[in-house]
Amino acid sequence: MIEVAVELFQIIWLSIRVSGVAVLIAMVLAIPLALFLAYKNFRGKRLVILINQTLMAAPTVVIGLLLYFLLSRTGPLGKFGLLYTPTGIIIGQVVLILPILIGFSYTAISQVDKRARLTAISLGASSYQTGWLVLGEAKFPLLVAILAGFARAFSEVGIAMMLGGNIRQYTRTITTAIALESAKGEFTNGVILGVLLLTITLGINLLVNIGLRAKE
Amino acid sequence: MGKSVYLIENLRFSYKENHFELSVEKLEIEPGTIISMLGPNGSGKTTFLLLLGLIFPPSQGQIMVYGENPWTSAEKVLERRRELVLVPYPSYMFKGSVFDNLCFGLKIRGVPEKEWKSRVGEALEMVDLSGFEEVLASELSSGQAQRLALARALVIKPRVLLFDEPTASIDSNRVSTIEGLITEVNQKQGATIIFSTHNFSQGFRLADQVIYLSNGKITEYGHENYFSGKAETDGKISWLEPKKGVKIFFPGVYQGRVTCAIKPNQIELLPYEQKKMISGPNLFFGRVTRLEMADNDIALIRVSGQLNFRVNLRIEELAMKKVSLSREILVRFAPEVVEVIK
Repeated sequence: MIEVAVELFQIIWLSIRVSGVAVLIAMVLAIPLALFLAYKNFRGKRLVILINQTLMAAPTVVIGLLLYFLLSRTGPLGKFGLLYTPTGIIIGQVVLILPILIGFSYTAISQVDKRARLTAISLGASSYQTGWLVLGEAKFPLLVAILAGFARAFSEVGIAMMLGGNIRQYTRTITTAIALESAKGEFTNGVILGVLLLTITLGINLLVNIGLRAKE
Repeated sequence: MGKSVYLIENLRFSYKENHFELSVEKLEIEPGTIISMLGPNGSGKTTFLLLLGLIFPPSQGQIMVYGENPWTSAEKVLERRRELVLVPYPSYMFKGSVFDNLCFGLKIRGVPEKEWKSRVGEALEMVDLSGFEEVLASELSSGQAQRLALARALVIKPRVLLFDEPTASIDSNRVSTIEGLITEVNQKQGATIIFSTHNFSQGFRLADQVIYLSNGKITEYGHENYFSGKAETDGKISWLEPKKGVKIFFPGVYQGRVTCAIKPNQIELLPYEQKKMISGPNLFFGRVTRLEMADNDIALIRVSGQLNFRVNLRIEELAMKKVSLSREILVRFAPEVVEVIK
């Protein structure tokens, strides 16, 4: 019984850890890109936005498959030995949620009143200080973008399965465990794990919302 | 007197989206002056303020600020921008409290945190918002928000203040507070103040110099009477009707939108009793609503009635023309003195 509980805890912790790290990495990349897209005019900007919107709907198995070729022993990145590791899952999840975070952050930043930026500049803010101010003005929708990214990474199965390999006590996440239990015909276990996944997502959302309320 | 605050030469600016162009051949603004910017909607007042605030560079020509062209590097623009503050209209309040809003300019300039409280308190007192520090900026009325926007600029104590319609949302009983504030900041801090307004009276009353913009061009630079409207003509003489039933006549054939300028010293005041004896074009009646003595033996008179006029008269002529405050009076000027600005 204790052994099962420990294993379950490992699965939950790994799921939170890989999705959390993936969200952090994607956030660091996506927010500056979204700021750039929102405030810089360049040739082909609409095309870039359109491509990003398309990538937001990319199936996880397609991303998993492409990265599998890249990370596999014979692939261009094979020498790093990242296939079937938690890092491999993180890379896959970053690729998966980056377009989502860029898209949602771009929308969030674009919706900030144009006068906010003008006011900051007119008060003497540098580009960097203006960027921070705009992010502060968009903090609630940005947080929604981050939560959406986390939820997408946390609940996906294709990438975790193909790049993680569902190795017991090493790369097994909640979703790959559900897939395994279902394949074994242990539907009750699968449903319990599914409920657990939803409960964790609900808990994280609740915590963030409580935090926001307190801040308001 | 030191270097000019602004020296503008052959300035051109146009937006990509429309055909509007702002052009200023030459303009020099001395430190410590108050300049008002008048003109109809779309004449380029806000664009000119944005250029003066170094928000964007001119398409052509240059704006020298304190003797140097800031648009040679990003660092110089930022350095100069921190000496001048533009208060756009309508104002925008950042998320957070009134205190957070006021601290923004101090924080980005690296002003020590221990100074923030006293400087914020001082600035809020100037705009009659003392005690509002902890109030959320989003909870302020539009008038309070505009006063906060002024305080947010004042707290920085910049060398140049650029206000876009500083009293546009302010309720009438507080307008005089803001007007007093403009004068006070100019006199006590020596700040150069440039503001746009639709209120001619305010523009002339507060400013040392007046810039009148029309269709993106500075058409006049002085204390004039301006009237805009659609000109009509009978082929010999033209007229415009700034108010229904009230016509200003001027020689020449004009059609379409024009602005007329009449110099205050070219307007004649006549006792109201002569009303039945006088006739002819450009004769109006009104009441003296302001009478101020200028330093050079000139009385500055405002006549409000069919139209509002600023008239300059030698002090010794006041009695002869029976000019006194609240008294009814006739205003007359020859069509030939009307200067037409297309």
